Amino acid sequence: MISRSIWLVSIALELLLVTRAYQQNLIRRYPMFFTYISFVLLTDLLMFTFHFPQTTYLYLYWITEFLGLVLGCLVFLEFYRVALNPYPGTARMARALLAILFVVAMAKTIISTANVPRWWFNVSPAQVEGLLRVCQLLAILALIVLCLFYSIPFGKNLRGILIGYGLFVCWSVVCLALVAAGVARYNTLWSYTFPLSYLITLVVWTVHLWSFQPNPVPDRTIPLEQEYQRVAAATQRRLHDARGYLAKAVGS
Amino acid sequence: MIGITFAIFMCSAVILSLALLATRGSSVQRELAFRTDLPPYDESLGHPSLCPPEFAARIFSPIDSTFVAAEKSRELVRLFHHERRVVALVWIHQTKTAIHRIMREHTRATRQSADLNLLTEAKLLSHYVQLVAVCDLLILAIQATGPARVGTLASYAASLSQSFADAQHALAITNTARDLRGASPAH
Repeated sequence: MISRSIWLVSIALELLLVTRAYQQNLIRRYPMFFTYISFVLLTDLLMFTFHFPQTTYLYLYWITEFLGLVLGCLVFLEFYRVALNPYPGTARMARALLAILFVVAMAKTIISTANVPRWWFNVSPAQVEGLLRVCQLLAILALIVLCLFYSIPFGKNLRGILIGYGLFVCWSVVCLALVAAGVARYNTLWSYTFPLSYLITLVVWTVHLWSFQPNPVPDRTIPLEQEYQRVAAATQRRLHDARGYLAKAVGS
Repeated sequence: MIGITFAIFMCSAVILSLALLATRGSSVQRELAFRTDLPPYDESLGHPSLCPPEFAARIFSPIDSTFVAAEKSRELVRLFHHERRVVALVWIHQTKTAIHRIMREHTRATRQSADLNLLTEAKLLSHYVQLVAVCDLLILAIQATGPARVGTLASYAASLSQSFADAQHALAITNTARDLRGASPAH
């Protein structure tokens, strides 16, 4: 009963988010994000309306879960593209950092699976999703740290997308770790926290994406202006010195 | 399989950074309106917010301490050590603030640079981390033993911070020149 209520509220919020995005023309600005929301809305409606047999539901659940994960990665890429577009230096650093993280994750996976024969038969979808979500979380963390380090300003919309998605992936990782460890089981308190975290995420998104808020644009002229001032001051000092030497030379 | 401890640790790190990101709204506005109130950089004097290395050498030098000790006044020696410790700590805090400021100026300049060098950035970051660590170490050492015994470390920090400021300035000029070349129309 509780989970169905959370589900119903989630569907209502998703519908509201998509409607507002259509009215505010946000779909054109963040196409991947709204494709993701529309996809989740459609699967939620499908799963909520029709009662599938358990095996079909299980397959459908994991297929939509992995498709959602792929779309989530595309949302992350969209965020990276939109947020770092005016900052090519930070974008380059982000690419390098994400490439390093990807290589490290790949190397760790290869090393840990090389010693386990036929691991793909024993591994559960929850474990695979858990590993992929950890990679996603690492990428999100790397991007946030870079943005904080380089003081990249975000508008309300982008900040909301990142905060909401970050919270959602965070709780997914914790829940999947608990499921894999056998702590979180069906119909326990833990099982309700996952849809609840998604509901919180939806509230964050609805608040932040209620209307379009442009990203603050950096003023490129400030550093150049400062640089000119510095060069002018140094030149003035050198001219002053040269005049002094000239006066001395003429005097002698 | 993901461990629960690892998952909780990772999530705490992400939630903490997300909270930082969420509460950063006002600082972003400050950042966008950032204009330095410091005098322009002078190659012969170094970065304006850094004290000259001679000043550091004097604070941490044992010469003054020996001179005061020769006066044979316990009260004077106590007062001298107290004052010198305060001055040394102020110098370190000023140096730390200057380093943070230089790094902030640097990140502000490089984030928009189209062809930034990853290796140079990594080197500069490692220098920055090293400097901050040395400053923290100096604070601990001064609290424990007083400034006269950490003279070598202090001069090292002073010269390192000066070279850090010079390197950042040289890099900023190169980036600006590159950007100007990139912005100029093709002939």
